[in-house]
Amino acid sequence: MERPHNSVVRTPINSVVVQRRSKNKSYRQSYRSCLGAASRLGLTPALTARRLNSSRRAPKSHNITEKVNPEHLALLMKMEWKLSYVTPLYQFKHTQLKSYSRQLSAFIAAEKQQGLAVEVEGSQSAFRVSFSVVHGMMATEDDAETVLIQINSKPLFAGQDEPQRSVWSGWLTCINGNSDYLHSLPTDFICLPLFGSSGPEVLTSLVKSWFQQMFDCCFGPLEISHTSLQWLVALWTNCHTESSIQHLKMIWTLPVVPPLQITYTVNPQDAWELWSSVRKDPQEQSKGGDAVEEGGNIDIEEVTRFMQGLKSHFYRHFRLDLSAGSLKQVSTALGSAKYNGRVKISNSRYMITTLTLLTECALLKMPV
Amino acid sequence: MAAKLNVSAPSDSDPSSLIDQTASSRSSNRSLRVAEKERRKNEAEDPFVLALKYFSDVKAGTPVYGNDEFENNLVLVERVAYSKGLSPEAISVMLEFAMSLRMGTTPCVRVLKCLIPTTVVPQQAVVRAVVWLGVGKIPISTQVLFIKWVLTVFDMIDAKDQLRAVYGFIFSYVTDENLCPFICHLLYLLTRKESVRVFRVRKLLELQTKLGRQPFLLHLLSLYKVFCPELVTLSIPSRMRSGFRNHNSPWKSALIAVQKRNGSQVALSTSLPFTIKDKTSSRKRKHCHLELPVLSSLVNKQAPTDLSSSRKVVPLVQLHTLTQLLENMHRIELPAQMGSLLGSSLALQYLDCVQDESALLRLNFWLGYALHEEFLFCGDGGGSQTSEEALQFLDKLLSSQHFLQEAFPSSEAFLYKFLSVWDGSLLRPQILSLLSNIPVVPSSQIGQLLFEPLMQLFFTSSLFFKCGLMECLNNMLLKWLTWHSVYALEDDLDISLNSHTSINMTLSGFKDSVMELVRFVGRLASVGLQLEGCHSLLLSFILDFYETVCDTFLKYGLPLVVMPPPGVFYPALFSPDPVSVDRLAYIMHRYKVNLTSAKSQEKVTTQAFHISRQTFREFNHYVVVIVNCLWNSKMFHPGMGVQLGEEVLLKSNVPQYWASFDLVHHPAFMSYAVDFHRRCWPERKDMDLNSIKHSKPWSWYLEYLYSQGYDGLKQLVPGP
Repeated sequence: MERPHNSVVRTPINSVVVQRRSKNKSYRQSYRSCLGAASRLGLTPALTARRLNSSRRAPKSHNITEKVNPEHLALLMKMEWKLSYVTPLYQFKHTQLKSYSRQLSAFIAAEKQQGLAVEVEGSQSAFRVSFSVVHGMMATEDDAETVLIQINSKPLFAGQDEPQRSVWSGWLTCINGNSDYLHSLPTDFICLPLFGSSGPEVLTSLVKSWFQQMFDCCFGPLEISHTSLQWLVALWTNCHTESSIQHLKMIWTLPVVPPLQITYTVNPQDAWELWSSVRKDPQEQSKGGDAVEEGGNIDIEEVTRFMQGLKSHFYRHFRLDLSAGSLKQVSTALGSAKYNGRVKISNSRYMITTLTLLTECALLKMPV
Repeated sequence: MAAKLNVSAPSDSDPSSLIDQTASSRSSNRSLRVAEKERRKNEAEDPFVLALKYFSDVKAGTPVYGNDEFENNLVLVERVAYSKGLSPEAISVMLEFAMSLRMGTTPCVRVLKCLIPTTVVPQQAVVRAVVWLGVGKIPISTQVLFIKWVLTVFDMIDAKDQLRAVYGFIFSYVTDENLCPFICHLLYLLTRKESVRVFRVRKLLELQTKLGRQPFLLHLLSLYKVFCPELVTLSIPSRMRSGFRNHNSPWKSALIAVQKRNGSQVALSTSLPFTIKDKTSSRKRKHCHLELPVLSSLVNKQAPTDLSSSRKVVPLVQLHTLTQLLENMHRIELPAQMGSLLGSSLALQYLDCVQDESALLRLNFWLGYALHEEFLFCGDGGGSQTSEEALQFLDKLLSSQHFLQEAFPSSEAFLYKFLSVWDGSLLRPQILSLLSNIPVVPSSQIGQLLFEPLMQLFFTSSLFFKCGLMECLNNMLLKWLTWHSVYALEDDLDISLNSHTSINMTLSGFKDSVMELVRFVGRLASVGLQLEGCHSLLLSFILDFYETVCDTFLKYGLPLVVMPPPGVFYPALFSPDPVSVDRLAYIMHRYKVNLTSAKSQEKVTTQAFHISRQTFREFNHYVVVIVNCLWNSKMFHPGMGVQLGEEVLLKSNVPQYWASFDLVHHPAFMSYAVDFHRRCWPERKDMDLNSIKHSKPWSWYLEYLYSQGYDGLKQLVPGP
C-alpha cells in the first residue's frame, strides 16, 4: 500500500497564529511550497503519491442494518446515484443541520424565483429541504458522519391536500478516508469527499452552488475509472459465497470505428470458480501481510489475474482481445457502477466496502 | 478554352468578332452546364448530402442500436451542424426525422440538440413538427426541448403566418403541466389581436386559480389585456418585472459559435426574444470552473453565541481603498468564497498579511480545483474551445502571483502533474511563467518533478519553445536566488531552520537544488545547441542564464560557483556573432570577480565557503582557452580543450591555423579587422590582415574593438 510518506513534522493544527515576517528567521514561513508545505497542507500531493490502494481488505459483510436507520438505508439502496467529489467543507457543523435545511430551502426558493415576474404571494416555499445525519454510516473514528439531504415538493398541478413527494436526494460521505489526509486538515474543515445525488439536474446544481457559497468548497464530477471498476468486479465476486451475485455483467467498449460495445455476462458460479483459482494461497499471504482474517487482503495482482482470466476466456470464444478496450460498466446483484460515475448499491451488507473504494477515488481527485 | 474566347471578345462591332462572341457565349453556356453537372455529381457524392438522404428515406422501425450506418450519418450531420450549422433544407429533413419518431424516441433528443441553423429555419418544418407533437408519443422532456428550440430560433424562422394559423392548436398545450411555461412564452411571441378570445382568457384564468399567479400566465394575460382590455378584467401587478425566464437553451453557445464562424450574415439577437438577461448562463456551461466566485460576505455565520462576544466585523466587500483596509485591519471578515480574492489586489494584500492557514487552504482548494478541472480532468477536449477564458484565468492568476511575489501551492502542485501531459504549446507563455514562479524544489525530488518532463518537452519541441524554456528557467533561478538573498542573508551560513518555520530546507539543501538546476540547464543547453545548429537566438537565451549563474555569490550571496559545460562554452566562443563572444567574455570576467572575492573571504573568515579545486581548474582552463584563442593566436596548442592531430591540421591546408580564431580572423570579428585595415592603411591595395598583428597596430586594433562596445572583451583583458 502506498501511503504518501509524511515524515515531516506537522505543524500543530491549531497554530493558526498570525506570524509576522521577521528577518531573524531564515527561510521564513511566507515561503509556501507545496513540497515544503507538506506540513501545512497535509500531504505531498504534488508527488502524486496518492494512488489507489493496491491491496485492500476483502469485503467483510458489515451488518449495518442494525446501526443505520432502515428508512435511510432503504433510500440509499433504492436510487442510482450520480457521484461527485467535493473539496473539504469549511465551517460545516453537524449540529447545525436544522438551520441548513431552512437556509437551503430559502436558497432554492430564491433561485427558482429569480427572473420570475412576481413573487408567488403568500405561498410557503414549494421545496422543503431536510438535512439528516445517517448514524452508523462510518468505518473509523476519523470519518465524518454521513449527511443525507432530501428535497420534497408538491407537483405543480397538484391539489391542495396532496402530500409532498420526494423530488431530489443526495448525500455526502467519507468511509475509511485516508487518515493522514484527514488529520492534515485544520479543524475547521470537514472532509466529506464523496457526494451522490439523484434527481433533477437543476436541483443538483442549486444544492451544489449553495454548498459552494456556504462552505467554500468545490464540486467536480467523479468518474469511476477502469481500474476501480475492475476492483468492484473482484470485490463483488468475492462475496458470492455469502450472498449470491446472480450474474456478473460487464460492458466493454473497444476503440474501433464505429465504436464497438460488448456486453459480457458471466455465470456467477463460473465467476466464483475463476476468482477462487486466482486467489493467492492464504499461507503465502500470511507471510507478507499482518493479521489475516476471513479471506485477508485482496491484492491488485489477484484482480488483474482475474480480469485476465475473464478476458482470455472471451478471446477463446470470440477472438476479440478485451484488453484493447476499456471497462465501462459493471453490474451484479450487489450493485452496479458505470464509468460516468453512476452507482447503485443494492445490498446493504457490502455498502461500506463499495463506499470505501469510492471515497478513495474521490480523495484522489483532491487538488491539494 | 471558353475563357480564352471570352477574352478575345471585346465590344467591337465588326462582324467577325460578333461571330466570335456568339461562339464564346455558346461555349460558355456549355461550360456552365458542365459545371452544373459536375456540381450535382459532387453533391451526390458529398457524404453530408448522402447522410441527409438517409434520414429522409429511412424506414420507420429501423433499429437504432448496433446500426452503424445510422450512427455514422448522425455523427456526420452533428459535425457539420456544430461547425457550419445546417441549411434550411437540412433542418427540415432532420426535424421531420426526429419528430416523426421514425427510429423511436432515442435519437430524437440528439437530433434536436444539433439543429443549429446557418441562415433561417423554414416555417413549414416548424409547423409540421408542431403537428407531430400531437400525433407521436414523444416523451414529455423531449417535447419541452422542442419548444425550447423553437423559442431559441424564433427570430430565425423565415415567416410566422402559418404558425399563427395554428395558434389554437398550440394553445391547447397550456394545460400540460410541464409544457405550460414554455407554451406561454411561445404564445406570447405569436399573439395578435385576433388570437385573443374569450375562451382562451377563461382557460388561462382557470389555470391561474389552479396554479397560483404564475408569472408566465400573468405575462400572457397582460398581453391579452393590452389587445382586448374588455376581456381581461384581472388586475395585473404594475411592478411586474418584464420577461420570461430564459430557459437556458443548449443551442445558444453553439449558435453563437456558428454565427461567428460564418461571419454572421443573419443579424439576430442571440438572446431569446423578450427574455431577461440571464445571469446564470455562464454557470450552466460545461467549463464553469474558471469563473471567479463573486466577492460576497459570509453567509455561513457563526453561531450567535460567538457573535455576541465578538466585536463588530467588516466584510472585505465593503472595503475599497488601502486606507480603509488599514483602519479595519483588526476586524475584517473574510468572504464566503476565498476564490473571489484572486480578482482583488486589496484582498490579496490582506491575505498576504494575515497568513490565515484556513483561508489560504480554502483559496488553494478552489484554485487547485479550477486548474485541475480545466486542464487535467477535462475529458471532452474542451481545451481549445475555452482557450480564451483559460488565458484570462491564467493571466489573472499570474498577476496575483506577481503581486504576492510567490506561487500558490495548489498551482505548483498542478504544474507538476500538468507538465507530464503538456504538449508544450497550449498557453505556452502562461504555463512557462507559472513554472518560473515555483519555489525551490528539494534536490531529491527535482529530477522527477521537473527535469524529466521538461527534458522530454525540450528535446521534442521547436526552437522557440527551447528559448522560452531557457528564459523560464532563468527566471526561476533568479527568483530562487532573490528569495535566498532576502530571507537568508542575515543568518549564519549553514544552519537548519527553526522548527516553527514550516519549510524544511537548510542552506546546503538549497544549494543542492540550485546546483541541480544549473547543471540541468547546462545539459539542456549543450544538447539544444547541437540540435539547433548553435542557433544564435538560443545561444543568447543560454548566455542570459549564465549571466545569472556567474554572479550568484556577489549579487545574491549564495556561496556557489558552477561553471558552464564545454557544450555551452565552445559554441559561444566560436559563434559567428560578435555579441555572443563578447557576452562569453563578460561572463568569464564575472566568474573571475566572484571567485577572487570568494577566495579573499576565505582567507579572512573561517566561515567562508570552500570552492572545490575542480571549479578553479575548470575556470582557469576556460580562461586560458579564451585568451589563447582570441588574443594570443595559440589555437590548437597542446593542453587546450580543442585538440586536433598535427597531420589533420596540415591536411586542411589552412595557413596559420593557430591564428584562425584570433580577434583578427575570428569569423565574428573579421569584418572589424577589415574595416580597421582600411582605416589604418587606406592607401594599401592588397589587404594583409596579418599586419594588424604587429605590436603597434595590434594595440590600436584592440582599442578600436573595445570602443565598439565590446565591454566584455575589454573587462576580461583590459586594453594596453
